[in-house]
Amino acid sequence: MTTAADQQSRSSLLAELVRRLGISLVLLALVVFMLATKDQFGTYANIANVLQQNAIIGIVACGMTFAIILGGFDLSVGAVAALASVVGANIMIDAAAFNFTLGIAGALLACLSIGAFNGFLIAYVRVNPFVATLGTMTVVRGLIFVYTNATPRFGVDYSFTTIGLGKILGVPIPTIIFVGIALLLGFVLHRTRFGHYVFAVGGNAKTASEMGIDVRRIRFSVYVLAAFCAACAGIILIGQTASAQPQAGLGYELTAIAAVIVGGASLGGGRGSMGGTIVGIFILGVVSNGLNLFGVSAFWQPVATGFILIAAVGLDRGSHNKG
Amino acid sequence: MTSQTILSVDSITKRFGAVVALRDISMTIEAGEITGLVGDNGAGKSTLVKLISGVLRQDGGTLAYDGQPATFTTPAQARASGIETVYQDLSLTGNMTVWANVYLGRELIKGPRFLNILDKAAMIAQTRQMLGRFAMNVPPIEAPVDALSGGQRQLIAIARAAAWGSKLILMDEPTAALGVAETQAVEEVIRGLRESGFSVLVISHNLEQVFRITDRIWVLRRGQVIGQRVTKDTHPDEIVAMITGAAAAMSGNLP
Ligand SMILES: Nc1ncnc2c1ncn2[C@@H]1O[C@H](COP(=O)(O)OP(=O)(O)O)[C@@H](O)[C@H]1O
Ligand SMILES: [Mg+2]
Repeated sequence: MTTAADQQSRSSLLAELVRRLGISLVLLALVVFMLATKDQFGTYANIANVLQQNAIIGIVACGMTFAIILGGFDLSVGAVAALASVVGANIMIDAAAFNFTLGIAGALLACLSIGAFNGFLIAYVRVNPFVATLGTMTVVRGLIFVYTNATPRFGVDYSFTTIGLGKILGVPIPTIIFVGIALLLGFVLHRTRFGHYVFAVGGNAKTASEMGIDVRRIRFSVYVLAAFCAACAGIILIGQTASAQPQAGLGYELTAIAAVIVGGASLGGGRGSMGGTIVGIFILGVVSNGLNLFGVSAFWQPVATGFILIAAVGLDRGSHNKG
Repeated sequence: MTSQTILSVDSITKRFGAVVALRDISMTIEAGEITGLVGDNGAGKSTLVKLISGVLRQDGGTLAYDGQPATFTTPAQARASGIETVYQDLSLTGNMTVWANVYLGRELIKGPRFLNILDKAAMIAQTRQMLGRFAMNVPPIEAPVDALSGGQRQLIAIARAAAWGSKLILMDEPTAALGVAETQAVEEVIRGLRESGFSVLVISHNLEQVFRITDRIWVLRRGQVIGQRVTKDTHPDEIVAMITGAAAAMSGNLP
């Protein structure tokens, strides 16, 4: 009896290991394939380009990882990133002194309020995350368009582009920020009690609450965290364009969700990892870069992302049915 | 025999709308004993356990625990005063490991307080030790609970209940979903709890089991207490008669 159970658990641990490694192997295979077929792929310029392009969406995906493990997701992250870009850049242009600090503070404040509103709706009013964040996404994007007339505003001091375009020892600064945020949030998710409770609530909210976990507080905090990550992304976007961009972050939500799911998280909640998300981001990033290098039109990239998302969710369902 | 009452239920009534789930019932649980609670489906057994564990509030009557009036409004309060419940659904989180489930809500923390870093090594070691106290075959501590058998899950739920300096453990049909061998293992664990000084209330439909493990049996029928018997002084036929109402028909002694 026990041996059978032991064996069962061992084989499911093995399956889990293969699953996790599987994703990294897919990334490895993609990279090897690209190196073998396109000389240009391995150049410093291209690699730096891939690292930089995926850093911003990567930061958004770090926050999304928490929301998905919690059993929800956040569709408003793209709009929130645009909000950070618009609010931050406008303050930086208009405020005379300390304009960068004020701009960053203003962007964070605006975005965290949106995150808190999402969190309030989902955790306390018990609005479905899809409805709540679709609603805030639409409202925030609409307000941005009203305020900006949907036109970019230029004039942020060029020194701020260090954040978006600069490099340290050849590594793009957005990538360094991404690595910093991923390490920090990976630590929070996998080493602290808060992260542990995100898994617990996502796995079984009823049990978590019976065991004395403040489920509402955990849910609320996760949506604030997702908005914080989106805000960081929007602030780096200011650093890439030196302007307020009302159209920034379009489609971020789906790309981020795709990366998290490709990275092994389950839309049912309770499963996922920060490492997986990072691998997921780079799988999408390398595919997109590959299409680019093979001269495929940029319009095909969302098509590829969509198919990868569907495939990942399909695989996830398959593994669920077994268990 | 001088037993000490750990929990007493006094004239408790509980309604769900028009349904009277418990009607003015009084009973006691004696310290250091395994008390059986039996009755037909819908007799009110689960409702009684939920009242004691703070999940539900009674409409009338009082509870006294350890000699003090008990007014638990949440399960957390009941747990804080030493009453643990193993629910029918076990309250386990399948995606989390054995140790994470045992410590859920009471994690051990290391390092600077504000960081709340989990002390995984300590929790794993102590879970292994804790489960070893109750079971011969300790399930894999770092496997997700989903990967375990029903008996192992039950063991984890019980061990968790016993782990927290609790005095009274309530179990609602702990072996209902288990096979013969697993049922035996869980019964062994329940007896072990008594030996370790816990008081246990077990709801069970399995009368043979009730006779194997309990010291005392309380019978509920349609929300009322029919009576109690000391297990070694009664017989399954008598308990069946009390459960079904045949006893009342025979002797006319409805309370
Ligand atoms: N949450 C509830 N809402 C309405 N009726 C309930 C609820 N819980 C229990 N009941 C009713 O109370 C009575 C006792 O139920 P229960 O305590 O579950 O019985 P038992 O555990 O002995 O089978 C039944 O008639 C049941 O339908
Ligand atoms: Mg019941």
